[in-house]
Amino acid sequence: MISMLYFVVESMGSFCSRQQPLNEVDSDENKQAAKIDSRIAEETKAEQHIHKLLLLGAGESGKSTIFKQIRLLFQTGFDEAELRSYTSVIHANVYQTIKILYDGAKELAENEPNSLKYVVRADNKEIGEKLSEIGSRMDSPCLTKEIAKEIVTLWNDTAIQETYSHGNILQVPDCAQYFMENLERFSEVNYIPTKEDVLHARVRTTGVVEIQFSPVGESRKSGEVYRLYDVGGQRNERRKWIHLFEGVTSVIFCAAISEYDQMLFEDDTKNRMMETKELFEWVLKQSCFEKSSFMLFLNKFDIFEKKVHRVPLNVCEWFKDYQPMGSGKQEVEHAYEFVKKKFEELYFQNSKPDCVDRAFKIYRTTALDQKLVKKTFKLVDETLRRRNLIEAGLL
Amino acid sequence: MPQYQQQASWRLEGGGQIIDLETAIKDGILGGGGGGLPAGKDGTLGATAEKLDLKKMIEELDSAAPEDVPSVFICPISLEPMVDPVTLCTGQTYERANILKWFSLGHLTCPTTMQELWDDAVTPNRTLHQLINAWFSQRYLLLKKRSEDVQGRAAELVQSLKKVKGQARVQALKDLQKIVVAHPSVKKTVADSGGVSLLSSLLGPFTSHAVGSEVIAILVNLCLDSDAKTSLMQPARISLVVDMLNEGTIDTKINCTRFIEMLMEEKSFRWEVVSSLSLLVALLRLVKDKRHPNGMAAGLSLLKAICSHEQVRSLIVSVGAVPQLVELLPNLSPECSEPAWHILDDLSTTPEGLSALKDCPQTIPNAVRLLMRVSEACTQYALSILWAVCKLAPDECASLAVEAGLAAKLLLVIQSGCSPELKQRAAELLKLCSLNYTTTLFISKCKLTRTIQ
Repeated sequence: MISMLYFVVESMGSFCSRQQPLNEVDSDENKQAAKIDSRIAEETKAEQHIHKLLLLGAGESGKSTIFKQIRLLFQTGFDEAELRSYTSVIHANVYQTIKILYDGAKELAENEPNSLKYVVRADNKEIGEKLSEIGSRMDSPCLTKEIAKEIVTLWNDTAIQETYSHGNILQVPDCAQYFMENLERFSEVNYIPTKEDVLHARVRTTGVVEIQFSPVGESRKSGEVYRLYDVGGQRNERRKWIHLFEGVTSVIFCAAISEYDQMLFEDDTKNRMMETKELFEWVLKQSCFEKSSFMLFLNKFDIFEKKVHRVPLNVCEWFKDYQPMGSGKQEVEHAYEFVKKKFEELYFQNSKPDCVDRAFKIYRTTALDQKLVKKTFKLVDETLRRRNLIEAGLL
Repeated sequence: MPQYQQQASWRLEGGGQIIDLETAIKDGILGGGGGGLPAGKDGTLGATAEKLDLKKMIEELDSAAPEDVPSVFICPISLEPMVDPVTLCTGQTYERANILKWFSLGHLTCPTTMQELWDDAVTPNRTLHQLINAWFSQRYLLLKKRSEDVQGRAAELVQSLKKVKGQARVQALKDLQKIVVAHPSVKKTVADSGGVSLLSSLLGPFTSHAVGSEVIAILVNLCLDSDAKTSLMQPARISLVVDMLNEGTIDTKINCTRFIEMLMEEKSFRWEVVSSLSLLVALLRLVKDKRHPNGMAAGLSLLKAICSHEQVRSLIVSVGAVPQLVELLPNLSPECSEPAWHILDDLSTTPEGLSALKDCPQTIPNAVRLLMRVSEACTQYALSILWAVCKLAPDECASLAVEAGLAAKLLLVIQSGCSPELKQRAAELLKLCSLNYTTTLFISKCKLTRTIQ
């Protein structure tokens, strides 16, 4: 729509500046008007064939990672310039992470009952203070070998490790381990981030980003065009812009199921899973999505898998009626099925009777795993194509 | 007809196949493959074993590959192919047993020409017997060969499924499904070559609809053992089946319902497997789809099976099953009415279900209308529901029911040949309904005649 407006405005500008005899101006104007009309009609028609997908979800639910994955899978991926542009982001992420850990250790040492385990070793304290200061700056310095070594030392401090394992009440990003493990590489002089690094990099999305792509299947003849929109996840002013997405083909709602024991970035008294629950309810009730299919991505399954054994689901109020069963893989499956049922319940409770024909599917995802995302998207594509055929009465 | 003149084709009386001499010789019917027959001592054609074989062949061919048997091979009395053809003096040929029976009833005529017989001898028609034997043998051998081929093809397909992917996999599955449906004997081959576990393994969280629907279409036609069924009950697989129930063609949907019903028969089945809201919503959608009556029947059958598990009932009520089913009732065929009423009766045992029944305005009128209309079972369910609803809210419901003509219907029940328990129920309900009325008013509602009163 925006590109069309631009075109109209441009043409209008050329009208006003033309100096011509009256009757000629008239017929020229008419010609121009006809051209604009036909162009608008063409673009509207083209737009209709584009399936619009909207990524929604709470902050840090993995939307942007999915977005990046789609770029890597179905577009040309990241070129070298773009990869390089992530270097400073990754360095900043490293500083932010270690700062959170160090500050967190201090906080826990002050407030927790058995505080001694959170007290950093004396000779690491100086490093800690320095890194904490760097992490608080707007522009972080480049990650040099020396600083990297210091970070590794601090990371290996038992207090910091202890803090990390209790990271749920702090805002430790999920990729902390990944960053710490790859510090040596990140601090190389000619470091260019890999695709994997870019997928892990954490930048808060502001505004709206979109990409248009065509998933090429085996048959290579369908040529369906998709446009994927990623909006920021934080709470501010969602209700004001959501109706701009009226009539999207499908809402892809990302919920990080590993977050059941973590608090929000914006409000650290609020449980993240409860926030996701409320957001999902809110989205389901929006009339602008009455006809859209709902694809629910239960994301961060890899973290969920490991956490389920350590932290019972019941710590989250929504899951308080969970009864653990089995052990090992069976336990994980049981827990996953429980969470899935909860979301299913939520969906049906909040869908009006006339939305009953809306497609609703749940997918288990790990956004960082490219193969899984590709497989998942293949299924989403199949579902949307079948819907199309059903609606056209061909199935 | 000149005896030795070869004709291009012999037109046979009464239609049927044309056997021309050349083809007959080429196919070996005349003397080639059929071979001679040893005549028994008592003059009956061939040994008894030979006759049984022919009988067996005729039977198998009749069921497997019905083809027009040439009319000359058919006995005019029984209209069946002749196993021991005998000819009368009139030249007409019949099945020995049949014509002898005709004679034993006292007739001494030829059944087709109606001529009186001047000679009651029956002559075995060896020529015809040879022809019949050869004709059936040839086709029998062909059938056996084809069915062996089918077994081989099925085993081949199962092997190929281990390797191929994508479109080729879908095609192999489609082919296998066609064979399994057309040749039931293949089922064992598929099971023996590890087909069942292979097919099960194809069902997972990343299975595409195309593959999944074909796999289910095959599995539904096979006999699955305990282990197979248990492994198929895994939540990820059930989710896949539910998705297909939501999105598939009507045939896929029906296959999915039958599949789930199959699993429910298994001992290790637990109700949690079917306690999925998505499944229940999808089932209701199938049940309400008037364009496909067989889909409605399949959906109702599965819903009835699910409803038999108490723990799932409140879930079923929560997806709005009660008002949706009640609204459907007037238009259901008799085969569908019974399961529908059974479901509603089961649901009425839960408090939510009962109150949903009470709140739905069509419940009472539909139930009253149905009494004594379809079957005793339906009457029983409808009566049970009316009883429960009237007990719950006697003031409201009893009067509604009476206005709808319940009383007269109840009298019908009591006077009918139904079971004593049913009549007892009806009597109790009648009493309950009459409580709010004066005797005279109530009697007028019942449209009683003096004698019954």
